[in-house]
Amino acid sequence: MQDVKAILEEIKASPYEEVAILAPHAGKVQFKVAGEGTKVYAPSGTWREKPGTLLASLERERNPRPITCTRKGEVQSVNTQLDGTFVEAGTPLMVLRHFFTKEEVTQAILKKVLFLFPAPERAKYLFAPEVDKKVKVSGCQSIKVKDGMDLFIVSRMKREKPLAYNGPDGILYAVYFSYDQNVDAGQPLVSVCPENQMDMIRDVVNRVQSDWEERE
Amino acid sequence: MRIIQACCKLGLDFVCVYTAEDEASGHLSLARELGGQAFRISSYHDANEIMAVADHAGATAVHPGYGYFAEDYRFARRVCERTRPMIWIGPSWRVIRTLGDKINTKRLARSLGVPTVPGSDRPVYDELEAEEIADSLFRFQAEQGIDLARVLVKASAGGGGMGIEEVHNLDHFKTVYRRIRNYSKRQFHDEGVLIEQRILDFNHLEVQIAADRHGSIAHFGTRNCTIQSTGRQKRVEIAPGFAPDQIKYSFDAAKVLDDITNHSLAIAKEVGYDNVGTWEWIVTPAGQPFLMEVNTRIQVENGVSAAISRLKGQPGVDIIKEQIRMGLGDPMGFTQQDITFEGIGIEYRIIAEDPANRFTPWVGRIDRFNPPQAPWLSMHSQIPQDKPYVIPTEFDPNLALAIIWGKDLAEAKSRGVEFLDRLVLQGQDQEGNPMKSNIAFLREKTSDILVF
Repeated sequence: MQDVKAILEEIKASPYEEVAILAPHAGKVQFKVAGEGTKVYAPSGTWREKPGTLLASLERERNPRPITCTRKGEVQSVNTQLDGTFVEAGTPLMVLRHFFTKEEVTQAILKKVLFLFPAPERAKYLFAPEVDKKVKVSGCQSIKVKDGMDLFIVSRMKREKPLAYNGPDGILYAVYFSYDQNVDAGQPLVSVCPENQMDMIRDVVNRVQSDWEERE
Repeated sequence: MRIIQACCKLGLDFVCVYTAEDEASGHLSLARELGGQAFRISSYHDANEIMAVADHAGATAVHPGYGYFAEDYRFARRVCERTRPMIWIGPSWRVIRTLGDKINTKRLARSLGVPTVPGSDRPVYDELEAEEIADSLFRFQAEQGIDLARVLVKASAGGGGMGIEEVHNLDHFKTVYRRIRNYSKRQFHDEGVLIEQRILDFNHLEVQIAADRHGSIAHFGTRNCTIQSTGRQKRVEIAPGFAPDQIKYSFDAAKVLDDITNHSLAIAKEVGYDNVGTWEWIVTPAGQPFLMEVNTRIQVENGVSAAISRLKGQPGVDIIKEQIRMGLGDPMGFTQQDITFEGIGIEYRIIAEDPANRFTPWVGRIDRFNPPQAPWLSMHSQIPQDKPYVIPTEFDPNLALAIIWGKDLAEAKSRGVEFLDRLVLQGQDQEGNPMKSNIAFLREKTSDILVF
């Protein structure tokens, strides 16, 4: 296992990332934030029921759709020249500077220390029906995986085929795919933690919780 | 791309849409080259995106292409009945609603005395009912003296050969039924399943219908689409459907072609069909035709019918151009007597796939794509010839359509083989392995086209 402290220091040296906000669909855009340096907030509330800061609205067929902030941070730049114009899907609207949260730092570290099972090809992935049922009911950490176990269904060009897990035995720690999104070849699908290392992983999580200071 | 070209022939302005995955597709560069605009949208499945672009560009009509919304009557209705209505280039939404549903079509055909495949004529959602139908089909085949009875289980909402499995006995039926039902729910969000008798060793024929908004209906002949992948997706289409003057059949092939054409026209007249469409048939070795379904849209393979059609004696028929013209409200301007047929047309679908491995789609980068040129050949492809092209995994890896014409079957076949031999198509996958395509499969199948 890699040195968790070193990884944490590495993240501390560069504790933020730039998040590009793209037009989710075509439409007429109107910006709702003041400009550079404005603080923006992610959804909040117990169930994240309060939407994040309103960044812009995108009007299509007289229906304005709010584009809200999904991650906390501050506005770095806004493509103000687009204000009031029709934009195509995927057009960059603004860039936010986002400081990592404890949860994100934890996930980043776990991605480095756990075994990651990669997607063999660009496709959509689903869990095999039995596993899927269990994940939905009891969460992914209820699944013990074994080498050679039929874990996934690969769906590409409307064709489906089974995919067996190949790696160390252990607990399915986290899932990185969603059934409606393509995963590129080499990207992790799941992370697996050997059962005897679960305590160590919990220590990592606790250390991040106590060491990492989230910025306002 | 053919729609863009047809618009140009008619002097019409156009805009087209594309998704991020299709950024390198040739339809964009063609659109820009011919003075049109292309707008990136989030998904071809999002009707709101198409409407937004249409409104922004001031479009007055919508051509849905060959798939996606082409047979979606709700989309067609929305195009025509919104605050800023546009013209729908296709049959009216009421016609699509009537014929777009293959089960409804089956009921309509049966009411007109048009033969259809034995089996359910509505989607089945109940397992017990499904088993009863399967049981009756097995018993029916036993009564008919068929040794190895077969029943097909199909996803009702599926198409293009996806979500179909065959069952040989009732014990096996339940497992397959459940698998197809679950597949259908995942892929098409509908659990409805159809159960039909499987007719083995059939030929798949089509009738190309064209109609205007003023009651004129004509046909552009028949096509034979029997050469398919193991997943029942078309790979070679030939026009006309049979060649009784050049090949001997064990049944009266000319009569079959006449019958399916007349049946298709009868249904078209009954529903007031008002644009182009394809009636799909299967023909048994005994020469018995059964109507399968009606595709209420222009099909990819329309070009092979156009290749053998002569309008008032002239070649160069463009069925898409006629579709747009009649869709915009122009009268047909010709009658059935003005349409004649000459020679044999072969259309090859060039696809990145591995025929030896159940036609598995191949994904990778195409480095060289150089089709030969000949006066008897027309090519349609979105693959650029001047730069590498990465096949998007979001869509089927269809690379090109090649339409070959010959004055008779022998000439068409020899030109077909010549084309395939001269076609340069090279590429490699992520690991550097050479590209796989269906060219050898197409070449092998050329020798016995139109032979039952």
